[in-house]
Amino acid sequence: MNQQPEPVVEMRDAAFGYGGAPVLTGVSFTVQPGEAVALIGPNGAGKSTLLAGILGLAQHTASVFRVPGGTGEIGTLPQSSSIDPAFPVTLEQVVSMGRTPRLGLRWPGAHDRRIVAEALETVGLAAQRRTRFGDLSGGQRQRGLLARALASEPRLLLLDEPFNGLDRGARDDLVETIRTLKARGVALLITTHDLELARAVCDRTLLVNQRQVAFDETGCVLTLEQVEAAFASHVMEIDGHTLATTEHHASEHAGHHHPLADD
Amino acid sequence: MIDPFTPFAAPFLGRPLILLVALAVAAGTVGVLVHLRRLEFSTDGLTHAVFPGLAIGAALGGAAGLLPGAIGAGLVAAVVLALISRRGQPRDTAVAIVLTTFFSFGVVLVSLSRGGGSISDFFFGRLLTITWGDLGVALTLIAVAVVLIVATARQQLFAAFDAAGARRAGLPVLALEVIGTVAIALVVVAASATVGTLLALAVVIVPAAAARALTRSLPAAIAISIAFGALTGWAGLWLVVQLATAGVDAAPGATVALTMIAGYLLALGAGALRRRTALRAAPTPERERVAR
Repeated sequence: MNQQPEPVVEMRDAAFGYGGAPVLTGVSFTVQPGEAVALIGPNGAGKSTLLAGILGLAQHTASVFRVPGGTGEIGTLPQSSSIDPAFPVTLEQVVSMGRTPRLGLRWPGAHDRRIVAEALETVGLAAQRRTRFGDLSGGQRQRGLLARALASEPRLLLLDEPFNGLDRGARDDLVETIRTLKARGVALLITTHDLELARAVCDRTLLVNQRQVAFDETGCVLTLEQVEAAFASHVMEIDGHTLATTEHHASEHAGHHHPLADD
Repeated sequence: MIDPFTPFAAPFLGRPLILLVALAVAAGTVGVLVHLRRLEFSTDGLTHAVFPGLAIGAALGGAAGLLPGAIGAGLVAAVVLALISRRGQPRDTAVAIVLTTFFSFGVVLVSLSRGGGSISDFFFGRLLTITWGDLGVALTLIAVAVVLIVATARQQLFAAFDAAGARRAGLPVLALEVIGTVAIALVVVAASATVGTLLALAVVIVPAAAARALTRSLPAAIAISIAFGALTGWAGLWLVVQLATAGVDAAPGATVALTMIAGYLLALGAGALRRRTALRAAPTPERERVAR
């Protein structure tokens, strides 16, 4: 009998908030190793609060709540970052930073250097490793930060709108990287407003709007009826891509710090 | 007259040279962190906050009271800074309040005290009258500061580059900030009590700024900061000796500070020249990068 591997993320009847009334309720889903789950919902739906809950930065109640708890086991890729392009570090030095939580005060050895090299290889930037981070293109910086997240050998990756602001080539590269990570057994939870990209790389989709609307295989969840119900008809097609909304969800829960945004 | 080494055989010149070389190592570690975290204004605030401690220490115990006074004032300033910041004031506002309050208090104390020392003594220090005891304490404080930064260097770099990312990755960003601030305060205290408030600021900030003008590489910036601090420290002291030989009694601390600034201006010029040369040699798409 083929036994299902233990899920990396498992939640049942979970609710998330910041101390007052819950922002998101009724959440039950799992993410298996090597699986990508799309997290889709309109502004204020509770996506950021869910990610914050996984990182331990928001409060939660649940009958079952299982997320990786070890140091460096959850990697994150923010949707934007305010990194100073003049900061004097190379791409390799930035990726090495991702190894820091695993190292503690230990000095990096050959094993750590190999993991950093592999992370660069995975995102296709091995040739640019000595380039100053600020000199890379927007798409390359995005992939560089993804390599930094990979350097901690995460079991779960949280990608927040990873395709925002990328041109078609950079988007295709990122899709390819996500497929490689899935093949290696990394679990991914990806927020996106681009339903076509969700269909391209995500096995299952969690549709939310202050409560869980649906969780199932992506093709079953992303039906026009369900998406329109969740997004109040804010669905449009641009450049061959079906987008749920063109607005950012930065305004979500004003007053609360976005867990994946920079300070 | 031009002999670059012999004058330093005399203890009153050898001791300040040892101190300036140690401060150069601090510049390459603590100073580079100050530059990366853009804490120049906070460091300025700390040097001024130490000022009333120097005045009280000098009034109570003469030259021997300088270091204890500076340590006490440094601690009080660090606590006040943290309290004001936690009450929601922006960091620069907190620094400005602490700087003005402590500095004014220090000036009033100096003007009231008789025989404790003049304002220029505290500004420019008493570089040539450092005792072996002063030197020992200063070297210990500097060594602790350097060890704190070297031991946490990779975490400090991550937090300086991307504090939010470091927090998400599980690094104790607040603890790293406290360790960094303690290290800066230790160097400021060691420098202020021996070489004066003005030179303390110069030795922490100027070498890293000069290195940044000359290189885009972090390891090179660290090496250049140390070399710059040591070289300009030695050149400044050497200049003091030459001026004294010529019958000019220049303030040693101020002379060393001016030598550092002259070195910084040279580094700025050399850096600009290098970028200009690279810009001419680079193909068009590369030009924007070189210009940064």
